[in-house]
Amino acid sequence: MIDIKNVSKWYGNFKVLTDCTTNVAKGEVVVVCGPSGSGKSTLIKCVNALEPIQQGQIIVDGTTVSDPKTNLPKLRARVGMVFQHFELFPHMSITQNLAIGQIKVLGRSKDEAIERGIKLLDRVGLKAHANKFPGELSGGQQQRVAIARALSMDPICMLFDEPTSALDPEMINEVLDVMVELAQEGMTMMVVTHEMGFARKVAHRVVFMDAGQIVEDAKKDDFFGKPRSERAQQFLSKILSH
Amino acid sequence: MNYQWNWSFFLDTAMSSDETYLDWLISGLGWTVAIAISAWIIALVLGSIIGTLRTAPNKLLATLANAWVETFRNVPILVQLFLWFFVFPELLPRELSLWVKQDMPAKEFFTATIALGLFTSARVAEQVRAGIQSLPRGQRNAGLALGFTQAQTYRFVVLPMAFRIIIPPLTSEFMNAFKNSAVAFAIGVMDLTFVSRQIVEESGHVIESLLAATLLYFLCAFLANRIMVFIERRVRVPGFIIAK
Repeated sequence: MIDIKNVSKWYGNFKVLTDCTTNVAKGEVVVVCGPSGSGKSTLIKCVNALEPIQQGQIIVDGTTVSDPKTNLPKLRARVGMVFQHFELFPHMSITQNLAIGQIKVLGRSKDEAIERGIKLLDRVGLKAHANKFPGELSGGQQQRVAIARALSMDPICMLFDEPTSALDPEMINEVLDVMVELAQEGMTMMVVTHEMGFARKVAHRVVFMDAGQIVEDAKKDDFFGKPRSERAQQFLSKILSH
Repeated sequence: MNYQWNWSFFLDTAMSSDETYLDWLISGLGWTVAIAISAWIIALVLGSIIGTLRTAPNKLLATLANAWVETFRNVPILVQLFLWFFVFPELLPRELSLWVKQDMPAKEFFTATIALGLFTSARVAEQVRAGIQSLPRGQRNAGLALGFTQAQTYRFVVLPMAFRIIIPPLTSEFMNAFKNSAVAFAIGVMDLTFVSRQIVEESGHVIESLLAATLLYFLCAFLANRIMVFIERRVRVPGFIIAK
């Protein structure tokens, strides 16, 4: 579904990604972790071309992302993305947030879009908030709406860029619950996160990054059981020690 | 102060015409409002387009838009007005040049409107750019990630919030349009400034005449402010805090 091949990326002279290769198969959940500044957020933004790459190739469902002939809006519409800071549109009600992509990009009728939006809102447990505005919801609620908004486009896979990093600790679980459910339904997911509990529960593979490189790409049990690289061992011992 | 106030002279008929001084004032106010509003419309339309282009991914368009702003922002409005009035017609093809100089109706009004409109457009463009850039980058990404094109991202995501954020500085700019329109008298538009001086010359009532003009300018700017405050309240986003 997502194929990342030998991807390198520079900001000016600064190399942020070095020869990254990994993939996410259909129905697979891959967690990408690593210390701050390791390039994991940058890598996931390259998947739907929010960040350009200078070397290598990314193929999503048979479409080469970096090909200048690729219709990026069309591709992005099929790839759901959830951001660290939710990024709901503050001037639109929750319902409008859920409907606008469906209407303007997929060409659905307003009624159809709203019906689908409300259904998904119900699914993330927020139907009662349909007419509120993003600023009136808590962070956890906003992030659940953001997940529903991405799902409203019927994506073939979902990208999560640190979806719980900006949340108060009490709100992390309500968001993770939605993501776990999604994973269990067989959604293809690439998730940048520090939530190792989530990774243990639903991930198939864990990709560990450091300094712009993929240091380890292993099955979940192998990664948590006996990580091969010293850097990953250090990382795990630090975040799992308490 | 030993001044003999006389406000009723405004009802006297002016010496050089059959209108009262009050009629002159009202007519001057009319020209002032006409120039300010027309210039504001030009400024808002052009300024929005240019300001948006300054943030566009296309480097050439962004550079051209930047050049526009630098040009109109770095030269005094009065000099710009003279350039449009005295120099610009000379640069036109011969026949058009003659028409502009001799036959163009309301030539002074149109020149003043365009000069003020372009001058203000540079300032509006600067605010639009600042408004767009004040939004978190993630907003644009969220629009693009949904499958919007660049244009749709601006239309549905970026601009609606950017304009809400810049209503306060735009308010000042709208008020400035009324105040800056006073330069129009320098090329002979019979605006509020022009008629107030005319009334002084004919009637000799310096203080009353200039105070009347002052009050009318004040009211125009005040009204412009109230209109913008009304709009600001109408489009307020529930739960949104700008400092976020």
